[in-house]
Amino acid sequence: MAERTLAEQLGGPLPEGIEALPEDARRDLAAALRAARHRQAKALAQAGEDGLKYVPALLRGAVRKAVGL
Amino acid sequence: MNPEILKLARVLDVEPERLAYLADVDVADLQLFREQVTTTLFDANLVVLERMALASRLLPAPVIAKIAEKVFGPLLCARIAGLVDVSRGVDVAKRLPPKFLASVAAELDPRRATSIITRIPLDTVVAVAAELTRREDWITLGRFVGHLPDPTVRRSLAVLEDAALLRTAYVLDDKTRIDHVMGLLPEGRLPRLIRAAGADESLWEPALDVLANLGKARRETVLPLLDELPDELRGRAQAAIK
Repeated sequence: MAERTLAEQLGGPLPEGIEALPEDARRDLAAALRAARHRQAKALAQAGEDGLKYVPALLRGAVRKAVGL
Repeated sequence: MNPEILKLARVLDVEPERLAYLADVDVADLQLFREQVTTTLFDANLVVLERMALASRLLPAPVIAKIAEKVFGPLLCARIAGLVDVSRGVDVAKRLPPKFLASVAAELDPRRATSIITRIPLDTVVAVAAELTRREDWITLGRFVGHLPDPTVRRSLAVLEDAALLRTAYVLDDKTRIDHVMGLLPEGRLPRLIRAAGADESLWEPALDVLANLGKARRETVLPLLDELPDELRGRAQAAIK
């Protein structure tokens, strides 16, 4: 599957000055945004699991259910 | 480097040099683009974050504070801050060390957490401001100036040295706030800032930016001070406040 363009990732038109950039610059911005999103999603998934270790045992089931883990 | 490029690099977590190709892009377009990127990143995992915020209601504040610091880290805390109950968020923030809060502040979109930010105790905000100053993180300081109440801004500005204050003013998101912020300074501080700029060439651009954004009344009060500046800076300063 083709990687999403910058405008597709942002869900709308780019500001004029960004739209006017050369193709490789826009592609680099798209890659940077994609990488930031991946880092964030990965950190979040890891935090969900690791955070449970600090939850008192009695509450763990309820928290797991609320978070959807 | 253009402060807007530095801010965007911060949001994307890349080296500013990588974005050198943005040097000629209009500042307003860069600002708009950064807002789009910020919104995209904040909304990317919204459902999971909202669930986590919901789950946090089940836990005592000390446990949340421990999870925040030991597991979540600054980035995720910043993403979730605007989603938790305000009173709960404030209660948790009060339990976290200023160094950690400074790291959270660096990742936070102040627009999304204004209700929490404005309720954090003054002493904590000042401690965070001092930590951000130690890190020379002018961008984060500048982003918060527009979202904190005046008494908090006044106290925080008091912990900034003259050079730090000029560099922070230079990267304010909302330049129309500069005149208001300068109005919060005690008498004599603005002249001191101008003299500080005269003695340090690296402060010329920030000082000229401050001067250019002063209101009419304040421009008139600083006008006589320009005579004390080095020739080149005086010329540019006079042009800036015309």
